[in-house]
Amino acid sequence: MTFVVTDNCIKCKYMDCVEVCPVDCFYEGENMLVIHPDECIDCGVCEPECPAEAIVPDTQGGLDDWLKLNAEFAKVWPNITIKREPPADAKEFDGVAGKLANFFSPKPGQGD
Amino acid sequence: MERTTQLSEAEIGNLVDAFYAKVRADAALGPVFDRAISDWGPHLETMRKFWSSVMLTSGRYKGNPVAVHHRVQGIDIALFDRWLALFDETCREMFDAELTASFNDKAARIAESLKLALFYRPDRPWPPIRAS
Repeated sequence: MTFVVTDNCIKCKYMDCVEVCPVDCFYEGENMLVIHPDECIDCGVCEPECPAEAIVPDTQGGLDDWLKLNAEFAKVWPNITIKREPPADAKEFDGVAGKLANFFSPKPGQGD
Repeated sequence: MERTTQLSEAEIGNLVDAFYAKVRADAALGPVFDRAISDWGPHLETMRKFWSSVMLTSGRYKGNPVAVHHRVQGIDIALFDRWLALFDETCREMFDAELTASFNDKAARIAESLKLALFYRPDRPWPPIRAS
């Protein structure tokens, strides 16, 4: 069982989660973060920390695509444990629908 | 009576100390832990930081418990239930029902994750069928 990062992280990437995660299981893409499902211990500490409410438990239904995306990119993006400044326009994208189709970038972020 | 103050680092420290005293004295868990942990002082400090991170979102613990548990010799899936039972017992002795439930909820989720990481095989049923 794991937590999963979903659509509203894209282009928001507030990064509050990485500071509280006890097991450093966040990985950074150019405009979103993902959780490594094999490293997450399901403690749930990150979930309420996300200002975008983008982190959800995998026990919630309908997350297969997001689980796949998290697992796939956690293997190739760099680890991130230290929060940086979120994007300047994060607030404007918070809550925008369908960000995966329109804005998702598979490129890696800078990591720690 | 419900508590009105927030859980403190000192209370977490007391819980960790009391819990691991029970673990070390336990016939099933004791030998596995004592074989894996050569110096208990640093381990207890690590566990205080871990529970602080989980219960107080303090970010004090940073580590990889999945990898650590993979290295533990003699670890068995049934030991997780014994661990949870002792943890519940210790919490009840120190905290009210609400806080005990909160600790138990976190502990159960983390235990399930570690069990999956250590013992899940795609070609076998989950949870595993116990040999009687």
